[in-house]
Amino acid sequence: MSNAREKKRAKKMRNQPASVTLSSDCGPCHSGIQHHNGGSRSFQTPKQDLHPDSSQEFQQQRHQHQSPGPSYRKEQYFSKGQNRVERGRGRGGWRGGRQNVSQEMPKYVTASTFAQARAAEINAMLKAVTQKSSNSLVFQTLPRHMRRRAMSHNIKRLPRRLREIARKEAEKAVHQKKEHSKNKCRKARRRHVNLVVEFNRRQKKNIWLETHIWHAKRFHMVKKWGYCLGDRPTTKSYRACYRAMTKHCLLQDLSYYCCLELNGKEEELLKVLARMCSIDTGPTFAAVPCLSGRLQGSLVLYRVDRYPEDFLGPITFIWKPKAGSGITSETRQLWIWTHPSLKQDILTELKTVFQCSEPVETCSPEPIVTLLQEEKQTDVAMIVGKKRKREDNEGEKALPVKKIIGDGTRVPLQSYCWTSQTTGVVISDLTMEILRYRLIGPLSHCVLTEVLKTASIHTEMADGETELNNWWVENCKNSEKVSLHQRQEAIFELLQGISSPSEIAAGTILGLTVGDPRVNLPKKRSKAMPNPEKYQDNEKVRQLLLEGVPVECAHSFIWDQTICKNVTENKISEQDLNHMRGELLVPGSQLDLGPCESKIPILLVQQPGKVAGEDRPGWGSGWDIYLPKGWGMAFWIPFVYRGARVGGLQEGLKHSEYKRTPYVPNDFPDCPAGIQFAKELENILLEKFKRRPPAKRANYVKLGTLAPFLCPWGQLTRDWEVRNKALEESVVTSSADSKSCATERQVPCEPKPGLIIEDSQGDMMEEMTEIQNLCKEDGAATSSGFFVLRNRKLLKQLSASCRPTCGKGQRVRPASKLGQKEMTEDALLPIFKCYPRVLVWVSLSLLRKGSPELHAMICIPTQEDFLQLNKDQLFCGPKEPKHSDTFKHKILKLKERKKKKNNGKALESGASDALEAKAVEEPKELILGLWPDPLPDVTSHCSRILLGFVTQGDFSLAAGCGEALGFVNLTGLLHMLSSQPADKKGLVLLRTPASLQYRFARLNIEV
Amino acid sequence: MAEPAPPPAAELALRRRLPPRLPRRPGDVYVNMQTDFKAQLSRCQKLLGPGGGCAEICIHGLGLAINRAINIALQLQAGGAGALQLHAHTSTVPLADGLEPRGDEDGRPPLARARNNSAIHIRVCRAAAPP
Repeated sequence: MSNAREKKRAKKMRNQPASVTLSSDCGPCHSGIQHHNGGSRSFQTPKQDLHPDSSQEFQQQRHQHQSPGPSYRKEQYFSKGQNRVERGRGRGGWRGGRQNVSQEMPKYVTASTFAQARAAEINAMLKAVTQKSSNSLVFQTLPRHMRRRAMSHNIKRLPRRLREIARKEAEKAVHQKKEHSKNKCRKARRRHVNLVVEFNRRQKKNIWLETHIWHAKRFHMVKKWGYCLGDRPTTKSYRACYRAMTKHCLLQDLSYYCCLELNGKEEELLKVLARMCSIDTGPTFAAVPCLSGRLQGSLVLYRVDRYPEDFLGPITFIWKPKAGSGITSETRQLWIWTHPSLKQDILTELKTVFQCSEPVETCSPEPIVTLLQEEKQTDVAMIVGKKRKREDNEGEKALPVKKIIGDGTRVPLQSYCWTSQTTGVVISDLTMEILRYRLIGPLSHCVLTEVLKTASIHTEMADGETELNNWWVENCKNSEKVSLHQRQEAIFELLQGISSPSEIAAGTILGLTVGDPRVNLPKKRSKAMPNPEKYQDNEKVRQLLLEGVPVECAHSFIWDQTICKNVTENKISEQDLNHMRGELLVPGSQLDLGPCESKIPILLVQQPGKVAGEDRPGWGSGWDIYLPKGWGMAFWIPFVYRGARVGGLQEGLKHSEYKRTPYVPNDFPDCPAGIQFAKELENILLEKFKRRPPAKRANYVKLGTLAPFLCPWGQLTRDWEVRNKALEESVVTSSADSKSCATERQVPCEPKPGLIIEDSQGDMMEEMTEIQNLCKEDGAATSSGFFVLRNRKLLKQLSASCRPTCGKGQRVRPASKLGQKEMTEDALLPIFKCYPRVLVWVSLSLLRKGSPELHAMICIPTQEDFLQLNKDQLFCGPKEPKHSDTFKHKILKLKERKKKKNNGKALESGASDALEAKAVEEPKELILGLWPDPLPDVTSHCSRILLGFVTQGDFSLAAGCGEALGFVNLTGLLHMLSSQPADKKGLVLLRTPASLQYRFARLNIEV
Repeated sequence: MAEPAPPPAAELALRRRLPPRLPRRPGDVYVNMQTDFKAQLSRCQKLLGPGGGCAEICIHGLGLAINRAINIALQLQAGGAGALQLHAHTSTVPLADGLEPRGDEDGRPPLARARNNSAIHIRVCRAAAPP
């Protein structure tokens, strides 16, 4: 019998009574008695073994105990098992028995001993029957037709004979259950005071947004970047959210984005900030419309003077509009909005650049302090006394303050405001001080205009209250400011007549002061629809579209922290508001608070949708709304009640995917947060992979996928560099170089009419020098890793060279563009020599079937593939031949060796040292189906040469085909483009990690 | 419209914005060049047909899509066996092209440039009951 079988039997016999075997003295005699008592059967079957009677006895017993029900089944099972064992045992002694039994047939049997023996057997069996061996509960062992709903809850639903056992089990389960706050009943736990305490405790580690409770009821929550965020709705709404983005309005809570405020002289700020970004990547902090405060800008930050290498991350920024005009040296306020995963890097870099090291003491507002004290006290109480005591303590004191003030966001003792002695620049971290909601979709105008009502003008203070709205009353006394407010209001009203936010200039800022949005909350959830009456051919609308919002209208009181604080503290609570509603004379009529109504300063910022690329211009555009903290839910519910659908992080990801923009931090492989993210993702995917049984895993070695869980960008770029060098050596380089240079000089002289974006000769020269500079830089720092190309000019040229020049579906491009393309072909050649380790962000759309996945491989098609494609229009793509798994053998061997070692270890413990030594020798554990760590040349591992990887990929609902976004190596891309025929330019092959099928896709670089 | 002085080259990128459009009624069909012609035609047929719920539809075409809009309308009429009537109107649609600065130069460029384009609006309705 093999080892495994024995083990199995041992397991089965675990709960069997051990005393079943008969004592030896009655052994020889019982068969005789059977002969006497049991009739003639043993005579008829003389072959029966030594214990035939025992089995027969079982049979008899079974018949006696015949009773319906599952417990009986169990009985049967056990007796059978036992039987089998007995038989097995008997079989061993059978041969001998046969020889002996017939001869030593006893003449008589003593009834008393025989009966005793049987009684012992029966007892043992009964014991075995009452004990159950499996882990399942009683009601789980019932046959399906006898199961009833909620059996575990109510014992009386079980058959009566099982109730006793079930009751015992239920009692056991109660004991095992974790006891939670036994001294508090539900009513006590749900009491507001205790609830708030509990909430405050729970958000200590991961900060909650103001809309957390709302989200937690409806969303799958994830803990990310130190926050608790809604990932995706629990309802099925993938497509509904897409429809909301395209046709209606999708709402997102982006309050987790971090705001860094810079205060200082404009010149100082600009001088230093210019070193952190480059004009090559687009407009910088000094761009005129942004600097004036009219538009929001967006750019990418680098470490100081390190462009293009040490990438920090993408940001958006807003300058506070100038109060006076023309004075450049005045102090300005700048908000930099970053993703929380990038914040620490950017903040530390800013602090070092501005030499801001001294924390400002005065900045910490008072409520935090008081709250902290209170918390400390409660903590102390908790340590000292029992919970009950603490409750009493609290009862005497005031209610615990609800933590809406963004307290938990930072370590309390740590300062969040730094100043510099030399420049006087103050950096403060305004995280969670300002809320940010995003509305996406064409109907966001309707939603906004229905929810927000501009504040009415009051010149008298509301009686009784001293703090409330005093800033607004002060403001209203100034006629200039009143007129400004009215102009803002007029512009806001105009939005109703514009059907989509994408018609307005990208990044337009509109400041506003609005009334309490809770006052005119509709009774039911309704959908805001556009009103055709507002769409008159209005000269004002046209002016707004052409010239944008005037600078002065971008002004908002949200920039003033004292006003924000005032607004947050003097918010009328929901309870009071409802109370006032209840006191209305006509129930359900509009509540008019008059001068008591809160006035909230807000900022509206237009978010451009899809700007790059040809198709779907302006898709996914919308408005961001910035609010002072504390007002989150007051604005959230009205938005939802006006028909905005709410999305989570997943919807944000899809939004950026359909917009074909990189998502933070997934698609920034060259910034620290991106690297961190890639590592985490790899761990998650690897764990998931390992959880599957080895036979059910995809064998990525056989599939030829070297890195299914992460993109080895470093190795990819390195391999291409090596490859490129090898190519260069084979080709005579010098002549080609000179030729390309010559063409480059000539080409810029060609006229390129009809284009606004042109590269004049001067630009070209500039570029050349710049490239040379870059070369030098690269030479200095080749040891460092790769970076992503973000130079707009180069990207534009690349993008032009990726397009097919002639094709069937392609519209004829203007001749000028063709001319430009010709130029770039040759001009690009020297460029890539200067950028040996560069990645380019590309978008891919599949020609036919297939939906790409994360980490899909982008490969270069061969000539034969094109021939096939030409021959057969329905050709899907080539297939990768199956690779052989050389590691499987090794793994098996290792396993065997280990097993042997283990066995040996069990025998003699002295061998353990040697085993450990062996374990140390093994560099890393081999996992079946994965390539071990030092990867071979990634580019040439498969039959098609690898170009890059996909970082986002899915079936695109917007485009109606599979679409992917990812990075390719610049060297590889240029190499590919130079060898492709004109009508097939930019065609690549895509292969998902778990498939052998390549699919054709068109590569695009959108700038 | 009079062209203003051409913007300094190489500093501005031109981004076309969406044309202004009115809120859509169920019977409005905006014709474009991306969607298949057949699909657009069948959409119109469905709207006009039984269960479509529209007594009349309005086909809008802008710029390059004018030809296609006319084509669709004529095809509809040809397939409708004389039961459909067409009323065409032309108009001019003011468009705005966003100008995006590519650098930080202080040229005080305008945010957008105005441009006009022709458009056609064809009302397709069922004719009065044939005599």
